[in-house]
Amino acid sequence: MKSKDIFSLMVNPFSRIAGWQAFGLGLAIVIVTGFIGTFSNVAFDGVIDMHLTQNLTFVHSFKFLAIDIVCLVLVMTITGFIISKGFRIIDILGTMTLAKAPYLILAIAGYFTVSPDIKEVMKNPFIVFQSVSFIILTLLSIPVTIWGITLFHNALKTSCDVKGGKLVIAFIVALLVSEIISKTLIYKLM
Amino acid sequence: MLPTYCPSCQSQLKVKCLKCESCQTEVSGLYDLPTLALLSSENQQFILRFVINSGSLKEMASELKLSYPTVRNMLNEIINKIKVYEK
Repeated sequence: MKSKDIFSLMVNPFSRIAGWQAFGLGLAIVIVTGFIGTFSNVAFDGVIDMHLTQNLTFVHSFKFLAIDIVCLVLVMTITGFIISKGFRIIDILGTMTLAKAPYLILAIAGYFTVSPDIKEVMKNPFIVFQSVSFIILTLLSIPVTIWGITLFHNALKTSCDVKGGKLVIAFIVALLVSEIISKTLIYKLM
Repeated sequence: MLPTYCPSCQSQLKVKCLKCESCQTEVSGLYDLPTLALLSSENQQFILRFVINSGSLKEMASELKLSYPTVRNMLNEIINKIKVYEK
C-alpha cells in the first residue's frame, strides 16, 4: 500500500469501514482506551478533551468515555436529520465511535508521563516545564486532537453525504454543542 | 469511450450519422445522446455493476471493498448528474 493510501485511510477510514463493523472495532478500541486510561490516570472528560488526573477509577474512566460517545452520536444524529436527505443512524454510531480511536495514543502516552503535583502547580505554574514527559504529552495531544476532529468531520461527511460550507458550519456547531453537553453531564453526574 | 463533449467549445455533442456495417446504409439526422452515454466511464461501470448486483448497495460495497455509505454517496452523485442532464 502506498504512503498516500495509508494517509488517506488514516484520515478517512470510513470510505472502507462504517456501520456495525466500524462500531465493533471502535468499541473495542474505546474499551482498551478506558482500561489503559485508568492505569495511566488519563481521563477523557469531554468529546475532544483529555486530562491527567489522580486515582482515576474504572467506573469514572468508562463513564467519561460513555458520556462522550453518547453525546457525540446524539448531537451528530440530530445534525444529520437537519442537514442530510437520508442516512443510517448505525453509520453515525459506527463512524463516530471509531473516530474516537486516536485517543488511545494519549492513554498509552499518559502511562509514561509523570504528572506534576497539582498543589505545587497552583503555587508555581511554571513547575510543569520541569516535567519533560508532561510537556511531550501536552505537545502530543495537539496532533492527536486534530486527527480526532478530522475523523469526526469525515465521519459526518461520509455518513450523511453532505459537502461544502453546509457541512463545515454544521460540523463546527455540532462538535461545540456535543463538547458543552458532555462537559456539563460529566460535571453534573460525577 | 464515446466522445460526448465538443473538444473545441465543450458543448454537448449530438449524433449526426449512424451506419450499418452489413449493408453500408447510413442514417443521418441530429439525435441526442442517451443520458447514460453522457456519464463518465467510471460512472457507467458503477451503474453496470449496480444492475448486475440486483441493485444491492451492500453487495456493491462488498465487491468494491468500500463502506456502505461511500457506495451510497457514489450513487447519489450519479443521480445528481443524471438529474442535471435531464433538465
